[in-house]
Amino acid sequence: MIALSHISKAFGRNQVLQDISLNVNRGEVVVILGPSGSGKTTLLRCVNYLEKPGSGQIAVGDFQVDCSRARRGDVLQLRRKTAMVFQQYNLFRHKTALENVMEALLVVKKLPAAEARKRSIALLEKVGLGAKLDEYPSRLSGGQQQRVGIARALALEPEVILFDEPTSALDPELVGEVLEVIRAIAREGITMIVVTHEMGFARDVANRVVFMDGGVIVEEGTPDEVFQHPKEERTKQFLRRITPEANYSI
Amino acid sequence: MQLDPSFIWTAFWQLLGAIPTTLSITAVSVLAGFVIGAATAMLRMYRVPVLAQIASAYVTFIRGTPMLTHLLIIYFGLPMIIDGLAEHFGWSFRSVSIPMIGFAYISFSITAGAYMSEVVRAGILAVDRGQVEAAQSVGMTTFQSLRRIVFPQALAAALPNLANSVIGMLHGSTLAFAVSVVDINAKAQIVASTNWKFFEAYLAAALIFWGLTVLIERVAALIEKRVGAYNRGGVV
Repeated sequence: MIALSHISKAFGRNQVLQDISLNVNRGEVVVILGPSGSGKTTLLRCVNYLEKPGSGQIAVGDFQVDCSRARRGDVLQLRRKTAMVFQQYNLFRHKTALENVMEALLVVKKLPAAEARKRSIALLEKVGLGAKLDEYPSRLSGGQQQRVGIARALALEPEVILFDEPTSALDPELVGEVLEVIRAIAREGITMIVVTHEMGFARDVANRVVFMDGGVIVEEGTPDEVFQHPKEERTKQFLRRITPEANYSI
Repeated sequence: MQLDPSFIWTAFWQLLGAIPTTLSITAVSVLAGFVIGAATAMLRMYRVPVLAQIASAYVTFIRGTPMLTHLLIIYFGLPMIIDGLAEHFGWSFRSVSIPMIGFAYISFSITAGAYMSEVVRAGILAVDRGQVEAAQSVGMTTFQSLRRIVFPQALAAALPNLANSVIGMLHGSTLAFAVSVVDINAKAQIVASTNWKFFEAYLAAALIFWGLTVLIERVAALIEKRVGAYNRGGVV
């Protein structure tokens, strides 16, 4: 369904992704874990070409693009099949919640305004913001903004939604409401790739966990395999560092 | 010498006739300058080969030289170019048929363009890159994201500086007297030359300029309130 093959990417002399291949099946939720600088966000951004991979192929559904000779039309096609939820929400600040969701429907899908409006309202209701349609982002909390971001990503009915640390910029008490929405979408069978540091969420929602370090995939498997019985030493080290609670003795 | 308050009033009424000239110079230079400035800013920001360097040279040269000098260079240089070309290609057009105010329009547009370029650039930089990425991530083209996401917000951010530029060009338009265009200031000189009451005449001119400036500030504030409505209730 989504096939990344032999993706490499360098920023200057810094090789961020080294020949990465990853397949994601329809309806699957893949969580990518890894220390900062491991390339997980870059990999995610390559999938909808916010970063241009140096080489490799990206296939989404029946559409395939070879990164070394991707044309502008290919990039647009690829982006229309994918959607991104950003760490910093990145809502259009001069547009209301409703307009944020409608934007792509009007401009990219060229739907009539009434139809776009109807769909957008339904999506905002789904993420629990039916009462905030006409608010500008500056009047919304971080959690609400991120839920608008999710509704915006859902609007184009993409084949896959990419979540780039969707809760890391949120106040702790707002994390729950956003994760709840993502969980609900996951249950609907929408394909997702999620970069996150929320281990509980990963364990709970992921069908598969991918651990990255140093620009390569170190280990992948079911949440149970990766969290309970990690095979690689680097994975074990990482898990020890991010779940220190288990080691505390009070 | 004594102040003659009644002549301020007399001059004031006579100067009103020159307002259209001043405003037309201001309006033309600001509008054309905005288009030139926006184009220059885009060329520089997108680092278009060759054109970006030309744009940078244009901006530093124009900002580095006085507005009066631009006017005089255009006034003396443009006819030479036009007549030279006309002769070469056998056109019947000659530079003498360009009205004096035309030189002011052209030269001040060039001046305003350089200043506006910086205003537009600052406005565009005020829109965070993340929004552009968000627009791209849902499949909008570069042009769509510029037109629908970046420009509206850049305009809102640039408005205070734009208003400043408009006021600058309003006051700068007085230099047009150098090519014998009769604007408010030049008219004041003419009005006073019959009775030597220059002080009163220039006071009247100052009052008119002040009034026009306040008007521009008011209009700018209104537009700012409207365009920037989305920021209300936020941090700024």
